[in-house]
Amino acid sequence: MRIKSQKDFFSGLMFTVVGVAFAWGATTYNVGSGARMGPGYFPLMLGILMAIIGLAIMFTGLTVETASGEPIGKWAWKQVVFILGANLAFGVLLGGLPSFGIPAMGLIVAIYALVIIAAQAGSKHALPSVLALATVLAVGSYIAFIWALKLQIQVWPTFITG
Amino acid sequence: MKRRTFAACAGLAALAAPFHAAWAQNYPSRPIRLVVPFPAGGATDLFARELTQAMGEKMGATFVVDNKPGAGGAIGSTAVANAQADGYTLLLATTSTHAIGPLITKTPYDVVRDFSPIAHVGDAPSIMLVPVDSPAKTVREWIDLARKNPGKLNYASSGIGTIVQLTAELFNAQAGVSVTHIPYKGTALSIPDLISGKVDVLFDSLPTGMPHVRDGKLRALGVTSLKRSPLAPELPAIAETVPGFESNTWFGLYGPKDLPAALVARLNLAANEALADAQLRARFAKLGIEPSSSSPQDLAALQAQDTAKWRKIITGQHISLQ
Amino acid sequence: MELIHNLSLGFGVAFTGVNLLYCLVGCILGTLIGVLPGIGPVATIAMLLPATYALPPVSALIMLAGIYYGAQYGGSTTAILVNLPGESSSVVTVIDGYQMARKGRAGPALAAAGLGSFFAGCVGTLILAAFAPPLTELAFKFGPAEYYSLMILGLIGAVVLASGSLLKAVAMIVLGLLLGLVGTDVNSGVARFSFDIPELTDGIGFVAIAMGVFGYGEIIANLSQPEEDREVFTAKVSGLFPTKEDFRNMLPAVLRGTALGSSLGILPGGGALLAAFAAYTIEKKTKLRPGEVPFGRGNIRGVAAPESANNAGAQTSFIPLLTLGIPPNAVMALMVGAMTIHNIQPGPQVMTSNPELFWGLIASMWLGNAMLVILNLPLIGLWIKLLSVPYRFLFPSIVLFCAIGVYSTNNNTFDIWMVGAFGFVGYLFYKLGCEPAPLLLGFILGPMMEENLRRALLLSRGDWSVFVTRPISAGLLAAALLLLIIVLLPAVKAKREEAFVED
Repeated sequence: MRIKSQKDFFSGLMFTVVGVAFAWGATTYNVGSGARMGPGYFPLMLGILMAIIGLAIMFTGLTVETASGEPIGKWAWKQVVFILGANLAFGVLLGGLPSFGIPAMGLIVAIYALVIIAAQAGSKHALPSVLALATVLAVGSYIAFIWALKLQIQVWPTFITG
Repeated sequence: MKRRTFAACAGLAALAAPFHAAWAQNYPSRPIRLVVPFPAGGATDLFARELTQAMGEKMGATFVVDNKPGAGGAIGSTAVANAQADGYTLLLATTSTHAIGPLITKTPYDVVRDFSPIAHVGDAPSIMLVPVDSPAKTVREWIDLARKNPGKLNYASSGIGTIVQLTAELFNAQAGVSVTHIPYKGTALSIPDLISGKVDVLFDSLPTGMPHVRDGKLRALGVTSLKRSPLAPELPAIAETVPGFESNTWFGLYGPKDLPAALVARLNLAANEALADAQLRARFAKLGIEPSSSSPQDLAALQAQDTAKWRKIITGQHISLQ
Repeated sequence: MELIHNLSLGFGVAFTGVNLLYCLVGCILGTLIGVLPGIGPVATIAMLLPATYALPPVSALIMLAGIYYGAQYGGSTTAILVNLPGESSSVVTVIDGYQMARKGRAGPALAAAGLGSFFAGCVGTLILAAFAPPLTELAFKFGPAEYYSLMILGLIGAVVLASGSLLKAVAMIVLGLLLGLVGTDVNSGVARFSFDIPELTDGIGFVAIAMGVFGYGEIIANLSQPEEDREVFTAKVSGLFPTKEDFRNMLPAVLRGTALGSSLGILPGGGALLAAFAAYTIEKKTKLRPGEVPFGRGNIRGVAAPESANNAGAQTSFIPLLTLGIPPNAVMALMVGAMTIHNIQPGPQVMTSNPELFWGLIASMWLGNAMLVILNLPLIGLWIKLLSVPYRFLFPSIVLFCAIGVYSTNNNTFDIWMVGAFGFVGYLFYKLGCEPAPLLLGFILGPMMEENLRRALLLSRGDWSVFVTRPISAGLLAAALLLLIIVLLPAVKAKREEAFVED
């Protein structure tokens, strides 16, 4: 049985797995009956429905002819890692990780880290222009968010502000 | 009674003066953060902003309100419980966060041990609201109506374990009636259903209910404070019909645990001074909050007392998360 | 006539130099906030509230209202230009708006959004002014059963939102419903699917999902394509204004959107959210004129209709606010707070006891809309210039603004992780060919649906017939059934034709 549409088959698989997971999780709560629904009733029904639809999509992925086979293609791992890594770095530096003993470094440091890391996801990322961009964004963010909107965000590292 | 407490606080502060001078010479040397575990714009938040502005003037300090809503107040409370006890991070707690909440859900902190009480800053009573078409015009008539229709009437609340629900259950228990609970995501959303009569009663705060009463869409049967409240003097206290009935939302200022006594005294003094201001009191009245003044020990006692009272109701009426 | 007298009173109040200034300040501030993805008007208004205590009440409310609209207009701008829906109301604008931008038609898209919103705003304000009290009565007829049936209708219409596979669209809706159920269940107090994480007890934030799926997902997808294939923003921007033909196509869409938005906005508790989705659905079901781009690829009607519906809904949602004191969303809740501080209790007596305030506010709504169109139309040129910035500078900025935007909602780094997680999920959807818009609709409607279903059953003590015995509810369910048939019919017809041909 050849996979006629990769996209459909795997998305159907994803839906089935997610549906089963939610339905299983729903049973850990009180399900109740139709007339007196407990917290688990609705999620259970929806989870089952999702699993059924997922199976149907998988079925169409195996049977319905498509011109190209609808391949999923290569995964852009480099981009994923750098963009999500930039997000992670921003969060860790902005707020710190108390449980790991990392102090909060503040907005400016976090912005620099985010821009430098995120830029690696693109193809052109010469350091001077990246640093220039980071500086522009850091200054702009300071003016817009801290000075103008007065958002309560820590700007400088903890050991500087005390 | 209040003046005596005031004097006691002043005395305490005077005693603490040498410690104050030695330890906290530079306090406050930077803005003090008051964490409000509720969203911006609500009554608690507005109360916090007014209070801190006045306290800041009295102390010569700047206060910054930090809203950390979520999980029924747990997120904000956790933040303060984990903060350093240097007087720069404080919490505005309420009955829901520090008396009732921990009885219903597990919290990562202990509401008694992990916090230092500073001052009891306000009280807000609730009022008993029924649709204007309801046959009951007094509390007594409502109780009779409920007794004639056991299990048929409904009360609205802003969720399980909220003061709104617990007040209604306290009423059920003390008046001996059985009224079914209909939870909503906030009492504002229950108002249309109350007006159209789909639910029969709601115990909610003054600012939410009174506009509709004045407009003639709802009727207020009474207040839940033990005596008539100056915020709504025309309403009888429910305690006049159901003896001993009292439900009060109190607001308290807390710091992280082991906050130095000097700082506690200083903050307590500033709070009491701020709350004595007449203009501020008038603005609080609009929020349905009656300012109070107290010592830190008063707050601790109030918290313990209230916790015990609600614990009885929660076990007695079998309130729990299913 | 009384209405004219009241309106002239209102305009008299709104047109004073001071109030005009406050309106302008509010509009500018609101636009700036709305344009920055993720940062909503809630944080700003909360911060400005104490500053407004010193102002006279009318001026304060006018400024706050200006911020609110400004944010709506600004939010559409980001949705169109960078595929980022800042608020739930912009999710539908993204679908065709962003496609138009990619084809170099960002100018007409922005203009369509602005002009459509302005028209809808005018109509909405008029309805508010003339019909507020009788419309409030209508709101009382809606109980939990009616809301549930309305949402069923909305969900079935949502299936139409996707242009691809019907089955996948339904699956995405159900996934959205399930994600919406994460958090505390209102009827039992149990925190579902929260894995004991306190930040999840109130559910997954809308901003986190939107920023992640639409923002990060799009960026990763774009970067994964080789640079030559990347049609991020076609260099040739053709014209800043809609063409005559565009206007001809837009007009009925704007009218339909306005009608729908005005009606749905009256319902307290989020009727306006449905308005944009419903308007888009209806537009999609109307026949395409010759030469029109199909929906999902940059049809101007797909921008004009939801934007008009949004703004009309935003105006009429003031009705339950002013007459019942029920805020339709978090921003309005702040306004109620502001009114309370200024000693104005929202309720019908506001009309009689504070007529200058009530009518002044209504007049300023119209004024705010007018100011925003005047502000935004010339800005279109500026935004277009912004798009010509090389993508390698643009995308890190978007990554940054998404992260800051979501952080500013709760000052909690957990939200930043959520955006990252949903960023990956968004890329996954892109790879698997699943469209995100139906998921967001399911996400918004899911919890409301369940809440109303269970509440209706609680009130009826377990009796399911309440959904068909109450007339409005029965009517809505019948309409839902009809819509379901209309939606499925083309699919059934296609299958039939296939079978026919094979014979």
